[in-house]
Amino acid sequence: MSDAKVERVYCPVCLAKFKYSEGWSEGSVVVCPICGERLTLRKTADGWIGDRVDRGTEKEIRSRIDGFAEIRGYVFNDVKEDIVEGLLGKYKRFGDFYCPCRMEHVPEYQCPCKPTRGGDVEKNGKCHCGLFWKKA
Amino acid sequence: MISMAEKHKIVVYALSTCPYCKRTKRFLDDHKVAYEHIDVDLLDDSKQDEVLDKVEKLTGMRSFPVVVIGTEHWVGHDEQRLKKALNL
Repeated sequence: MSDAKVERVYCPVCLAKFKYSEGWSEGSVVVCPICGERLTLRKTADGWIGDRVDRGTEKEIRSRIDGFAEIRGYVFNDVKEDIVEGLLGKYKRFGDFYCPCRMEHVPEYQCPCKPTRGGDVEKNGKCHCGLFWKKA
Repeated sequence: MISMAEKHKIVVYALSTCPYCKRTKRFLDDHKVAYEHIDVDLLDDSKQDEVLDKVEKLTGMRSFPVVVIGTEHWVGHDEQRLKKALNL
């Protein structure tokens, strides 16, 4: 068994760390395998951190939700565009892409929210908002 | 005793960003139904607490939209239920 320390990258969206892969380096753009966010890698004294690419833009949130759906194999329906509009409204009014169907503006409700990352779509067939759907 | 005005009063508690809340409002607008709507997320803190307490007492949760038609109420965008309640 190797005793080499596995390096990890901190994602500022889902507040979790994922495994640093071979071939990555400072400035590499990678996709967080937990939430789908595109991140530019930066080495700090505390380890690797991902900086959000296109932060606060429509491009960022579309890329994140599309990336998350692709990772999990989820699909969208005709509510998607209304929800994207709601997410942009949340950013404008409350400073980040919080779930548009919830009152609470806390990190765990950044889209895709913690319950969704934790398997709500598997359990209920869809996320709280009805953005992500389990494939029929 | 509920007055006639109260019996037919329609209130929609909503979030300004919630797509289903927008659909409920759009449905009522399209059918030219007069209603009061409250975007709970846009209220100032003290008013928001007051309205959230009211919504939680009424529905037992903090989900939106909440539609109140006289003495009837429900959570979620439900066109069939709106049609039935409003005789549309």
